[in-house]
Amino acid sequence: MKGWPAWTVFVKEWVDALRDRRTLAVVLLSSVLMGPLVLIALSGLVASFESRAERREVVLDGIEHAPTLVNYLQRQGFAVKPAPEGFEQKLRRSELGDPVLVVPKDFESALRRAEVPVLVLVSDSANKRSEAGSGRLQRLVAGFNRERSTLALALRGVSGEVLEPVRLGEKDLANPQTRGTQITGMLPFFVLMAVLYGALNAALDTTAGERERGSLEPLLMNPASPLSLVLGKWAAVSAVALLIAVLSCFSFIPAQWLLRSDTLAALFQFGWREALWFVAIIAPFAAALSALLMAVAIRCRSVKEAQASSAVLILAVSLLPLVGLLNPGGEERWHLWVPALAQNTLMTRVLKGEALGLEPVAITLAVCAVLALLGVGFVARVLRRAAVR
Amino acid sequence: MIRIEQLAKSFVAPRRWIGRAAAPVPAVRDVRLEAVDGRITGLLGPNGAGKTTTLRMLAGLIRPDAGRLEVDGIDVAARPREALARMGVLSDARGLYPRLTARENIVYYSALQGMAREEAQARAEALAQMLDCTALLDRRTEGFSQGERMKVALARALVHDPANIVLDEPTNGLDVLATRALRETLQWLASPAGGSKCIVFSTHIMQEVERLCDSVVVVSHGRTVAQGTVPQLRASAGARDFEEAFVRLAYADETGAAA
Repeated sequence: MKGWPAWTVFVKEWVDALRDRRTLAVVLLSSVLMGPLVLIALSGLVASFESRAERREVVLDGIEHAPTLVNYLQRQGFAVKPAPEGFEQKLRRSELGDPVLVVPKDFESALRRAEVPVLVLVSDSANKRSEAGSGRLQRLVAGFNRERSTLALALRGVSGEVLEPVRLGEKDLANPQTRGTQITGMLPFFVLMAVLYGALNAALDTTAGERERGSLEPLLMNPASPLSLVLGKWAAVSAVALLIAVLSCFSFIPAQWLLRSDTLAALFQFGWREALWFVAIIAPFAAALSALLMAVAIRCRSVKEAQASSAVLILAVSLLPLVGLLNPGGEERWHLWVPALAQNTLMTRVLKGEALGLEPVAITLAVCAVLALLGVGFVARVLRRAAVR
Repeated sequence: MIRIEQLAKSFVAPRRWIGRAAAPVPAVRDVRLEAVDGRITGLLGPNGAGKTTTLRMLAGLIRPDAGRLEVDGIDVAARPREALARMGVLSDARGLYPRLTARENIVYYSALQGMAREEAQARAEALAQMLDCTALLDRRTEGFSQGERMKVALARALVHDPANIVLDEPTNGLDVLATRALRETLQWLASPAGGSKCIVFSTHIMQEVERLCDSVVVVSHGRTVAQGTVPQLRASAGARDFEEAFVRLAYADETGAAA
């Protein structure tokens, strides 16, 4: 046999896949652009929280009834603003971003007579912005209470420590990069999705698509061996998946420049080094996933049937990374043995700035290699049995 | 030169979860055929006679249960790739790649046949000239008409200049002009100027066979029931009209029972 039929098949399938402009455009829009877009949208949200936190403003309904409280708040460095007309409606419609503290008319006199006046904190738990501010208001009111009671005790010659027998100190062990992963933790997920949807169309088109078009039978009547046909197709599908993955990884780098939140931008450390690591981690997975998708699709008579059959695989790849996010116990050893979850784990390590370790890399490589071998072997076997029934 | 001896194949129905497996369906029971170089041999039979199954076995796509298939003395079962290299097959599935141009479709197959790039390009040009479709070469095959598709598929099958050409119902879906053009091409290929190819083609259309074939093999219910030239078959069936002769030969059991 002259030449390399596998190479011939690879070149043809690669050209064919790249000419499918409409599908590629959809994949680029949905998987490659989606990650950065969500990131930028999220940064906008975080920025609005931050600006609210920095504004140090408190909204009170009935300022005139509570000079003592206003005095306390101002001493804490907060500007006190009167509540606008119809604030309940505005909170419900998310037009007002701050919770409102409602002061009763007889607040001052009741306070003096120690009758425990009631302040009402009005917020809407469906209104996320007002929710963020209500925690701060609660702390301020607690502070006001503590000051009042400490003063009252001091007048009676009792130490303020009676009220607070225990103090709570805080120590946050997270370094900036680990804190960043709370938000950047979804990056690996987007990269995995990009690989999945990049591989999906090409894998179905080169297997079930060939059968649907009626071009599989003529192809098998060439003197090239089925294995070389499959190898060429598999390499092309993997290459397309990898191309989409590379685009997806590197699209996060320019996305960082558009981040609107300074804190997020500082936490989000994703440079060329991280992007290259991502590509290295995802490449074996792209190859294995391509082989599996082809194996699922090769027995189907049409692309539509193949899409239905591959739904389970698609669902598994989409949901497995979530195990890493949802599992409160954090990373466990078996995660490395499950494809998709393992890649998610390794990419998260890269984001945290941790070392990958030789053993985890070896495990994921081995799992991917076995899956790819099984997939390619199965497709070749189906083609060898010549597929005509 | 293609020789088929006592070919048989039956299909096993896929196993079901419940109940007994269905009995195997015999598609080909005893097909014999001999096609020599420089002649056009017609494989004539009604729908479901086993023509396509026979040709698929010849192309090595299905393994026969019994019998022997030979291409230029090469056993297809033992050395399928060598046999395929000596055959150009236009099967009833003749899908093209819609996103590739006609030329790319043809050159892809020549590369799979192991031809060099320049050689493949020259061959594509020559085939396009022969099939009168040079204008189509650099268009994508998306939206080609039936006749245009057939021409590209035929060019693709002939790209390695095989000594044996096998066509499964090539005139299906073609109009008069396209059919006539195909007929002329096949006659030229069988002539010494065209390379004295051995051509086997299956059909269920009498007129095709009458006009084109040097010899005819009549297949019915998976068996070869008659073999010879058109006049020979007419004489053996005792009919003046070829269609009448074919009906008597192919449906011998049914018409005999009715009479």
